Amino acid sequence: MDKYDFSWRIIQENLPELINGLIITLQISVAGMAFALLFGLFFATLRFSQYRILNIVSNSIVQVGRSLPLFVLLFWIYYGLSLKFKINFTDFQAGALALGITGGAYMAEVFRGGITAIDKGQSDAAFAIGLNRMQTSRLIVLPQAIRIILPQTVNIYVGLLKGATIVSVIGVADMIYVAQYVSLETFRPFELYSFAGVVFIALTLSVASFAWLLERQLSGKSRRG
Amino acid sequence: MDNSVPLFDFAAVWSSRALLLEGFGIAMFCATAAIILAMIIGLFIALMRLSNSRILRAFAFVYTQLFRGVPLYVLVIWVYFGLAIVANINLPKIPAGIITLALLNSGYLSETFRSGILAVSVGQSEAGAAIGLTKRQIKRFIVLPQAFRIVLAPSGNQFVDAIKDTAILSIIGVPELMRMAQQQADLFYRPFEFYTTAGILYFIAVMGVTKLFTFIEKRMSRIGFTNSSQKLTNVGEYI
Amino acid sequence: MLEIKSVSKSFGELHVLKDVNLNVAKGEVVCIIGPSGSGKSTLLRCMNFISPPDSGEIVFDKVSWRSYRSKFNVLANLRYEKKLPQLRAEIGMVFQHFNVFPHMTTLENVSLGLQKVRKIKKDEAKQVATKSLEQVGLSDKLQVYPDQLSGGQKQRVAIARALALNPKVMLFDEVTSALDPELVSGILDEIRRLVREGMTMIIVTHEMKFAFQVAHRIVFMDQGKIVQVGTPAEIRNTQEPRAKAFLSSILE
Repeated sequence: MDKYDFSWRIIQENLPELINGLIITLQISVAGMAFALLFGLFFATLRFSQYRILNIVSNSIVQVGRSLPLFVLLFWIYYGLSLKFKINFTDFQAGALALGITGGAYMAEVFRGGITAIDKGQSDAAFAIGLNRMQTSRLIVLPQAIRIILPQTVNIYVGLLKGATIVSVIGVADMIYVAQYVSLETFRPFELYSFAGVVFIALTLSVASFAWLLERQLSGKSRRG
Repeated sequence: MDNSVPLFDFAAVWSSRALLLEGFGIAMFCATAAIILAMIIGLFIALMRLSNSRILRAFAFVYTQLFRGVPLYVLVIWVYFGLAIVANINLPKIPAGIITLALLNSGYLSETFRSGILAVSVGQSEAGAAIGLTKRQIKRFIVLPQAFRIVLAPSGNQFVDAIKDTAILSIIGVPELMRMAQQQADLFYRPFEFYTTAGILYFIAVMGVTKLFTFIEKRMSRIGFTNSSQKLTNVGEYI
Repeated sequence: MLEIKSVSKSFGELHVLKDVNLNVAKGEVVCIIGPSGSGKSTLLRCMNFISPPDSGEIVFDKVSWRSYRSKFNVLANLRYEKKLPQLRAEIGMVFQHFNVFPHMTTLENVSLGLQKVRKIKKDEAKQVATKSLEQVGLSDKLQVYPDQLSGGQKQRVAIARALALNPKVMLFDEVTSALDPELVSGILDEIRRLVREGMTMIIVTHEMKFAFQVAHRIVFMDQGKIVQVGTPAEIRNTQEPRAKAFLSSILE
């Protein structure tokens, strides 16, 4: 192979499109996260239900959601479901849904973990001073659980952000997709993918360090509690 | 349905079973090889991060941040196509896939190992030092065996993620399960059936590995070791 | 036999030890007492460089030891770290929180040092370790893992682990503080046995009655300094105001 001469100008020339792609990446990851929170909350609630059958059902759904690769989920929804049942998801909808299912399975665990992590002594003490069930969860359990849940939620979002890179395979015009078609036109795959990679690393690392800061901040508060 | 084809037809899947199983085998092979490599690299990186040398620490820090931050999709393209362009290294597909997964997972595992090592209490090293063990002996006989048990469960989770991640290797053409399912789905025009089957196979693999690690853990606690050190869980990072 | 010469140590701004000097003769039992935070444990941990002193030296068996850390010479650091275990192998130490190795059986806990430090063959090491465990009354627990032992039994394992190496000095760092009250006397009896055998010992303890019984000399520390050293009788009748206040608050 001939020596590849690098031309980083290509990035500059296509910057507007790349940024548009990035915005779509952010949109789809946020939409996915919204689904994830919804699903997560729903299934976590089911797991705390007093009906055993609901526990089991939600448990299995969460288990399956966590076991399926995002890629498979994406194709299953976009090609499988839509063709079979004539539900015409747009590529964006399918991507957000797939991200939401994967993220939701993890979020259900986070919600459950956050709530069970609160020492039973806390609710005992709350009942002992005469608070009712509602007050106990609102005033005692939830505020403490949020300290555990919040940083992990941001971590899940980081995961979704990274996962969102693959939605280009079903044709969502995200940054990777832009990098792909520009490199087909210009034969500059290396520069374009490297640029996309660096942007993603910067993005995920800054969100992840936000989670880290959040965790420190919140745990610092609870230590005095 | 307006056509006369039955709603669910898994006959095509059945006729392609050999290909799907081969893909499944390749996926499991890639995941296993990658996780073993990742554990070796991860351990070295973790020890570097805990070493006295500032240069080693800095290198290990950048390494973990880099490979934890980069999306797999970008990394696999970079390893397979990028290395060929920049360094003229033309890796075959499967090794390229394994290396990619190993790099990615080594970033996470090194963090897991580091916190596992730190979770072994200082008193343990002190007691080792007090009976005259050298630093190396303390690491080998006291700290690492205890850290190993602490990181077992999170390593199992990492293995599960590696299995799921093999699906992405299809984009560089590794003939693993997802790739096979894609090809057959296009061939028979039965995406729902093929992707459902692929999903079931992934589910079985993931459950199998999860059960295996739970079993090993139980086994270890039965021979007397129940460590009071905190369990490591960071579920969020495993997508 | 063990000489501590102007040892100082600080953690950041906090001066934990300020120019401490102490001589311990062969066969002597020295108990170190004082309020918490007075630097007793840190002094003990400086003696075998588990916490290396910032300055000063430890002379053990006529050999002088100092802290050493070169910023540039990595090899010299390694050489120093290779040498330190020789000192530590001669000084046994028992900790407040036992620090038994949870992934090893009782027998393995004790024979580890024999095999790896004393380089004794496995079978022989097991014999020595068994004998050492018999002496602390654990001959029926050889194959048991620490999580099935009580606190008192764990501490016995720790004592056996140190004694198996046949050390010349034993250091005890508040070894009964983490124990349930009913288990304390058993561990103190083990130390009394060593006193009878003539072992050189330095004991940091809050058990005043015990300290005054077994010690040849008592060291009273406060705010990082040795305030007074004397025989139990001398210390009991001390006129030094801080020592007097401390003792009256404890002995009531």
